[in-house]
Amino acid sequence: MQKTTVQMTRRAFIRAAGLAAGYALVGFHLTKDAFAAALDFAGLRQKAVYQADAEIYKSRKSQDNPMVKKLYDKNHGFLAKGPCGHISHELLHTHYQDRSAGVKALRSVGIKLKI
Amino acid sequence: MREIEKVMYQEKPPAAADPDTLLFVEVDPEKCQGCGECDNHCPTGAVQARDATGIRHVVSPAACINCGQCLVNCPHGAVYETVSYVDEITARLKDPATVAVSMPAPAVRYALGECFGYPTGAYVGGKMHAALKQLGFRFVWDNEYAADVTIMEEGTELLQRISKPDRHKPLPQFTSCCPGWVKFVESYYPDLLPHLSTCKSPIGMLGALAKTYGAQETKTPRDKMYTVSIMPCIAKKFEGLRPEMAASGCRDIDATITTRELAFMIKQAGIDFKSLPDMAPDPILGMSTGAATIFATSGGVMEAALRLAYEVLSKQKLASPDIKVVRTHEGINTADIKVPRFGTVKVAVASGLANAAKLCDEVRGGKSPYHFIEIMTCPGGCVNGGGQPMDPRIRQASLFKRTMASVKKRYNMRTTG
Repeated sequence: MQKTTVQMTRRAFIRAAGLAAGYALVGFHLTKDAFAAALDFAGLRQKAVYQADAEIYKSRKSQDNPMVKKLYDKNHGFLAKGPCGHISHELLHTHYQDRSAGVKALRSVGIKLKI
Repeated sequence: MREIEKVMYQEKPPAAADPDTLLFVEVDPEKCQGCGECDNHCPTGAVQARDATGIRHVVSPAACINCGQCLVNCPHGAVYETVSYVDEITARLKDPATVAVSMPAPAVRYALGECFGYPTGAYVGGKMHAALKQLGFRFVWDNEYAADVTIMEEGTELLQRISKPDRHKPLPQFTSCCPGWVKFVESYYPDLLPHLSTCKSPIGMLGALAKTYGAQETKTPRDKMYTVSIMPCIAKKFEGLRPEMAASGCRDIDATITTRELAFMIKQAGIDFKSLPDMAPDPILGMSTGAATIFATSGGVMEAALRLAYEVLSKQKLASPDIKVVRTHEGINTADIKVPRFGTVKVAVASGLANAAKLCDEVRGGKSPYHFIEIMTCPGGCVNGGGQPMDPRIRQASLFKRTMASVKKRYNMRTTG
């Protein structure tokens, strides 16, 4: 059996080690930054939402919205029967469809999905 | 293809009427480096390598729920949108016979400003309404109004499910405003569909109300109306095309665009956004409350619904509307809300569908203790949706990742010949 050794000068070794360390450090910092940035980006927007809720909007409950009261007004409202009444069910409620057949078909040809 | 706010778009309305046959996002094989970052963000596993090169594609419309998290997280800008109504809307806005109606979602106003140099999250609701008016929308209606209506409907539905147990309408009740989540249940947990609130999403409601109630109040023939849904979301394009969204007697939602596309249209029209005055929407289907605006964030629908449920169940006023325990940044959040004269309302909020799947498995196993569960597909909620302006750091900060990915791609190309 022949033993193989990699010949490397002292200078080349230092150069390679330095480069490897540099890449590892830079890579670590960049991925860490990217991760933190993505998190607080959404967080900043979320914070702004709660701030607007507390400071910009006059009323903070849906049932207090004057235009919602007008919509459901018992005498003249478009939805006079109140929420979940007959017209509500026609216009504002829906039904759902079982779409699992498409997923099953994919699995049957060997495509792997996460769920 | 054209670039809109750093994202590529095919410039065409949907190629078919049936949204089940359409892909709403796709990967450009020229730009894809095979790094797999999209896989990390795809909740269903719909983005996969097409072959040994590692270059990704969306395997099938049946697997994809159209959330667009792959798109906003791709470090290489390789994922693009395939459906755009921008040109159609621009033409209809110029047509004197058309009565254009705008319907912007809550989350749009917390991100639109970023396209005009405002800091992340800056609230630009007033300027957004002014810009819509300038673009030529006759009625500036607002999906926040419909979010308030949704709370009335969905809150009442929840109270009915609690007071009258019915095996066709079981507890827990799941929220139904997130179109990614709804397609997810329909595709991956169809047995749980009875748990899904029968309420349409706010935009589903507003489309139908605009062409009935709105047409009546403004004396506008509904067939002249052109309703434009403006969303932080790509999956809303699928929702707008659902065949059942025709309760008004015609299509309830004529076109759907994202926050990015609205910014593009404002720039294209030469509107100086920053100098616009703050404007209120047209009140009749536009006035809204804080409960509506928090629909934009994970935990918001839950908090808004509790602000109603508390008052109905306890028959007393809720002194402070802040219900901070349900506010969710990531993961699963659960809470017991004590309500006088009722007891405890048990709720859960999940941000991201991997978390939603855990709650679904509990419900499937009959072990879910909750009355009401809110699910948002995008981590943090709609403010972080797939149709929102890009986080500029996703592509900047990934220089290292980009370099590594291109090295890997070249290597793979060579080894697979």
